[in-house]
Amino acid sequence: MLKTNAHELVEVSIYGEVWPPSASHAQYQATSEGKATVGLGMAGISFTHRVGDAAFGWEADHLEPGVSIRSPHDGPEHALHYIACMGNDAVVTTGPSAGARGVVTGAHAHIMVDFDPTSIELLGIGDRIQIRALGTGLKLFDHPEVAVHKTSPRLLEGMRCESRSDGTLAVPVVAEIPSHLMGSGAELPPIYVDQDFMTGDRAQIAELGLDRLRLGDIVAVRDQDHTWGRGFYGGAVTIGLIIHGDSAWTGHGPGVLDLMSSRTGGIVPVHDPDANIAWRLGLRDRADATVAPGSLVSSYALIADEEGGMSGVA
Amino acid sequence: MLRDNRDQLVGVSVQGEVSCPEYPSLPASPYVIAADGTPRLLPSPGGIVYNVRVGDSAYGWVADMVQPGVSIKAPAAAANYALNTFACLGNDALVLSGAATGARGTVTGKSGRFAEHVICHFAPDVLEQLAIEDKILVRACGRSLALADYADVQLKSISPALLDALEVDADRPGAVCVPVVAEVPAFLVGAGSGLLSESGCVQIQSDDAGALDQYGLDGLKLGDVVALRDYDSRWGNGYRQGATAVGVVVHGDSPRSGYGPGVTVVMTAIGNRISPKVVGERNIATLLGLGSPVEAAAA
Repeated sequence: MLKTNAHELVEVSIYGEVWPPSASHAQYQATSEGKATVGLGMAGISFTHRVGDAAFGWEADHLEPGVSIRSPHDGPEHALHYIACMGNDAVVTTGPSAGARGVVTGAHAHIMVDFDPTSIELLGIGDRIQIRALGTGLKLFDHPEVAVHKTSPRLLEGMRCESRSDGTLAVPVVAEIPSHLMGSGAELPPIYVDQDFMTGDRAQIAELGLDRLRLGDIVAVRDQDHTWGRGFYGGAVTIGLIIHGDSAWTGHGPGVLDLMSSRTGGIVPVHDPDANIAWRLGLRDRADATVAPGSLVSSYALIADEEGGMSGVA
Repeated sequence: MLRDNRDQLVGVSVQGEVSCPEYPSLPASPYVIAADGTPRLLPSPGGIVYNVRVGDSAYGWVADMVQPGVSIKAPAAAANYALNTFACLGNDALVLSGAATGARGTVTGKSGRFAEHVICHFAPDVLEQLAIEDKILVRACGRSLALADYADVQLKSISPALLDALEVDADRPGAVCVPVVAEVPAFLVGAGSGLLSESGCVQIQSDDAGALDQYGLDGLKLGDVVALRDYDSRWGNGYRQGATAVGVVVHGDSPRSGYGPGVTVVMTAIGNRISPKVVGERNIATLLGLGSPVEAAAA
């Protein structure tokens, strides 16, 4: 059991509304292959996808699993982005699904909340969801060099980290992402939304096996220090959570939400194919989760050509 | 000289005003947080910078991402987006109001997310006369400039004058050769990835001093022409093996993680169709005849 200051943390209510997907007249987005596509995947209630499902292969861009919420007001919206922590409890407070209970699983353009689908069949756009925010300020007493971000005590327990005799923290992860793939979001602080890993080089993504990642997987990023910002630093290690699906835009891909970072090598990633919050937090059984349909290296606007390159089909 | 479509390009006016550095309102913190967590109060990008110009070092200034010379911005968001998209490096910039009316300068860069300025060079005596909110018109020309015989090599934010000055030459079939000061490995490209490549810039991360030194990037100057290896800027900015982006260093270093000298991309291709050739010196201050810092000091 890690020694933490969890007993000193304050649990506070914040809220958002189920947010509608939006479209504009200039709807086309250019893919990394220069093809025009219509984006789908962000906001609203995803009836078909939950945390635990594949991160690649869907006909969607930046797929946000579960229920996406945000606030119409600037202050409460920033409260959601800054102090909602992964693994926090959530409850529907308005509409016919009032009383349904969920868990926070991501922070992107919206905060993502996972529910048992049978409990939210009548959930509507605009319904309020309240979150019991707990985790901001969490510290690991035996690992002062490890910064903890957006991690609830519940998630920390589910991550099954271990203190090692050499003073390092062993963290189970599904995969490691090399530093050079870290893309969109480098300009943002680690406590605010996620940073995508870049999937424009499809052949390399397949070679690294990253196309098998699932939403909810815990991953490590080598040589990235995300303590106070997001950038390359030799020997640093960052631990992240895959929160949204792949993207066909250049410099984008599945979102990595920062959970921990050590500038000085205080984190040691340990391979664990089961390090996914869907089952580690008891949100669903692994047997119920889908694997990527069709080609593992395809995404909605991209298919592999015979030479391993990609061409657009949209 | 490679053939291009400059005779078909349309020149169009875009306009901005001399900007003022900005800080968040109370009770927000005025500090930027350095990579090691130190709060730093530093001049933010923008305004008229009197003592840093193209050709000076990109490092060592006590400022966050210093933009040399004059940074301009249009007050309306859509007009500023047009200014930042259409303005090309090497375009003429004309002062249209205030004491320096009629003075002529040159576009030398475009800054990225949260700044979004067009950066212009003016002679020191013009800087003395300029005031914040003076109107500056850019005679934008160069957008959609293309090489007739190299359809897979994209040009961006580059005026015909700068294209000529870069001395792009034929390489192996289908590929061009470009002289540059240095090559930046993809893992050192930080902020700007995932954002649009028709405007703004990407940043060379400077937190790891050892890596900067190893790749010969610690001596970069504002205005230097560099190549980003394995970097695809055709329809946005991102990693891709074998791709190359060539750009110009447009703003100075930053203490923040993921940040550093900014590079506005002027040329990109995938499949090794751009061959950078590292040469000793390659700076737009010299290439465009903007005058060296030494000459300016003597004037």
